Amino acid sequence: MDKNEVVDYCLDSLKKRGVDKSTCCLTVSEKKELNVENDAMALLRTTFNTSLGISAIKNHKKASTSINKTDKNSIDEAVDTVIELTKGSKPDDAYDISDKQPKRLFSKGCDSADLDIMYRSLDEFVDYVKSTYPQVKLEAAIVDFNHINSIYKNTNGVDFQISDGIYSFSPVFLSKEGDKTTSFNYTGFSTLKIEKPLYKYAMVDSLLRESVEQLNTRSLDEKFVGKLIVTPDCIETFLGFIINDISDGKMITGNSIYKDKLNELITNPKLTLYSKPVSDEIEDGYFLTDDGYMAENSTILDKGILKTHLLGIYGANKLGKKRAVNDGGAYVIGSGSKSYSDLIKDTEKGILLSRFSGGNPSNNGDFSGVAKNSYFIENGKIKYPITETMVSGNIKDMFENLDDISNERVNYGHGILPWISFKGITIS
Amino acid sequence: MKYENLNKFRNSFSNYTELRVQENRNSSINLTNGDVTGNTSSQKSGVSARVFKDGNWGFSSNPEINTNSILGVVKASTENVQFMNKRDTNKCGYFLPETMANNDIDFSTNKNKQSQKYWLDFIKEIDGYIEKTYPELLSRNIGLGGLDMEKSLLTSDGSEAYSMIPRSIFYVMLSIEKDGNPVSIGNPWGGLGQLEDQFYNPSDYFNDIDQLVDRLKQKANGIYADAGYKDVILDADLAGILAHEAIGHTTEADLVMAGSVAADFVGKSVASPLVTLIDYANTCNDQTCPVPVYIDDEGTKSEDVTIIKDGILKRFMHNKDSARYYEEKPLGNARAYEFSDEPLIRMRNTAFVPGTSKLEEMIASIDDGYYLVKTGNGQADSTSEFMFAITMGYEIKNGQLGRAIKDTTISGIAFDVLKTIDMISSDMSWSSAGMCGKKQLIPVGMGGPAIKCKVNIGGR
Repeated sequence: MDKNEVVDYCLDSLKKRGVDKSTCCLTVSEKKELNVENDAMALLRTTFNTSLGISAIKNHKKASTSINKTDKNSIDEAVDTVIELTKGSKPDDAYDISDKQPKRLFSKGCDSADLDIMYRSLDEFVDYVKSTYPQVKLEAAIVDFNHINSIYKNTNGVDFQISDGIYSFSPVFLSKEGDKTTSFNYTGFSTLKIEKPLYKYAMVDSLLRESVEQLNTRSLDEKFVGKLIVTPDCIETFLGFIINDISDGKMITGNSIYKDKLNELITNPKLTLYSKPVSDEIEDGYFLTDDGYMAENSTILDKGILKTHLLGIYGANKLGKKRAVNDGGAYVIGSGSKSYSDLIKDTEKGILLSRFSGGNPSNNGDFSGVAKNSYFIENGKIKYPITETMVSGNIKDMFENLDDISNERVNYGHGILPWISFKGITIS
Repeated sequence: MKYENLNKFRNSFSNYTELRVQENRNSSINLTNGDVTGNTSSQKSGVSARVFKDGNWGFSSNPEINTNSILGVVKASTENVQFMNKRDTNKCGYFLPETMANNDIDFSTNKNKQSQKYWLDFIKEIDGYIEKTYPELLSRNIGLGGLDMEKSLLTSDGSEAYSMIPRSIFYVMLSIEKDGNPVSIGNPWGGLGQLEDQFYNPSDYFNDIDQLVDRLKQKANGIYADAGYKDVILDADLAGILAHEAIGHTTEADLVMAGSVAADFVGKSVASPLVTLIDYANTCNDQTCPVPVYIDDEGTKSEDVTIIKDGILKRFMHNKDSARYYEEKPLGNARAYEFSDEPLIRMRNTAFVPGTSKLEEMIASIDDGYYLVKTGNGQADSTSEFMFAITMGYEIKNGQLGRAIKDTTISGIAFDVLKTIDMISSDMSWSSAGMCGKKQLIPVGMGGPAIKCKVNIGGR
């Protein structure tokens, strides 16, 4: 069977077994992955995979299964499994599948990896780091190219096909000199084509340079309440709390502090947050939601006002609220009016936070954790890299007390993010 | 799905080669406030080969398992290493240590396998008990899941192994509203074995759930910890995560080679003489550990690694390549999560060895500090600086347990914190609900006694 026949066979089998509604998604992928370990080229991986995901709703009971085979026997067994799982489940009127939409073919990126470019880029990156930052040790650096062919169909007549190929780069590094070792740091980006040296993408070069600076850290000898300037590499850590709170899990359980805040101001009006999975400026977006709708771009926060929760079909039906037009991700934050250097200049006392090692925030937004790869700022100047520094506050309060957003933003391929300063953070 | 005749592919090997056929089976059920929000199963299987030559590795995997696909992955991984060797000629003459071991181990249940409906009814009964007994709760989230990892391995060194290692976890997450804000607490149960060997009667958990709700209410009325450098007692769960995150990762040889601070400490005092820390392969005190490993995915027989003995850092955890570099014997720490993953240096069951103190004595010895009971997540660093989220704890005042505290975080430099340990309890408990993330996920066991030490605690 070819890929279309596999999906059709699967849906037909479920229909014949009396299933009311079902979806089937077949994804076939090939990945090439080059690995640097401990400053040296080490490993080339070629992996093929197949994923056949099946969901079924019968008598308002839902179940799903996935296998990585496409032969008839394996599909028949998977269909048996999902039917058996639905029988054991509990009816819920909130289960549903996506509505009929026009048939579409989505395509992005190359069909296959250019392994020579991948090797040459990674090899040049290793050489660049060795010659420019001899104290930096590359714990790992991975360039990969992942290509997927995907078919998504359901019994409402949805029929989507996707072809998507994208390169990603992710280095993990630290600096070492004598008996001094820095905290590790990491970053990453995605791109449809590798068109320049890897260190020139996103914040890679800056973070390597800063790693060397961080060989000479100092402890802060006092506890104070000050400003936190969060870098583009770190800001999603904090945005994650808001995103988690407006998504299905916390909304359905009632644990979200934003559950009744639609169209209300929940952050400082300087913050506008988009999710743009199908924007031209986001190379590593996505075409479909997990529920089988064509993804659309959305504004999540418009000048601080919550414009949408991020609910899927089940969450929306369960809560009687509107389904989101995407699954979140591909975040773009609207740029501010000040330059990054002005954010620093306007900081009397605070820290520049490049990485945050913290616990999951409490349901009310209280958080605390360790500032990693970070700097002390005093009287408008970055003074020195710091160690053993704790940051604590409340994320809801923090976004209400947002101070400023930089007009420079960094494009990671999967998001476009600025520096953001926040007031009233406890630093100890 | 044991692959019986992998040995017939030995003649296709032209270099050092590992050939692995693997199937992972997952099942998962989730109830949210009584509604079924998860009801899934999945199977992922395939074959992979990894080849080493002149300091480089080639890897390839395929989800199909037949003669052609097996020969195909050996060929593709060989071509991949040739691609690397052609461009990287600096490492000619590197040879891996040879290891050979044979073992078959199967932890499949001998009982009749129950249907997913049976298990859904099992957790529905628990959910019903909670709903009826504690109507004041804001939310109930209950999950039950199983993971079977079944591997057949052949290496060019002559190792042949089969293993079927299952893990089953049941968890409850509850929340209550306090002053308009939700407060939550959770707990996992389970470990080695399929669901039938782990969970018997729903009512077995009612007492534990009563205690969990008690703690939730204490926490809802809890106070903020007083931030600062404090005496604390880390209960077994926290000692386990300290062993795993802060010491274990820092002493994985690949991270040591990458610059971890532990590189400089072998043979030196890194902890109080009370401290001995071991990564157990499969057995501790004649009991099978939560994640038993008998032969690793490089075909090396798994043995215990004593990382710290009486306060002295003794050795690191290795795969074959790092063992070659450090000229040490590999002791079976190379593990892969899925068929399409290459083996990495991973911990197995990492724990502090118990001491002689009683928990009550340890609490009585603190004038102003905290007894920290549950952790949410933890992270560590190349510097051995660690951070753990604390989701349940109590203040200690004048040797007595006091009020519960709200969620907070502790941090410290592990090799400094270990030197402050002055009491270790005589009991020992294991946990294995978590997955360790390091490029791939992998189930791990961690455990220990309670330990008394000094750390930084967050708060207000």
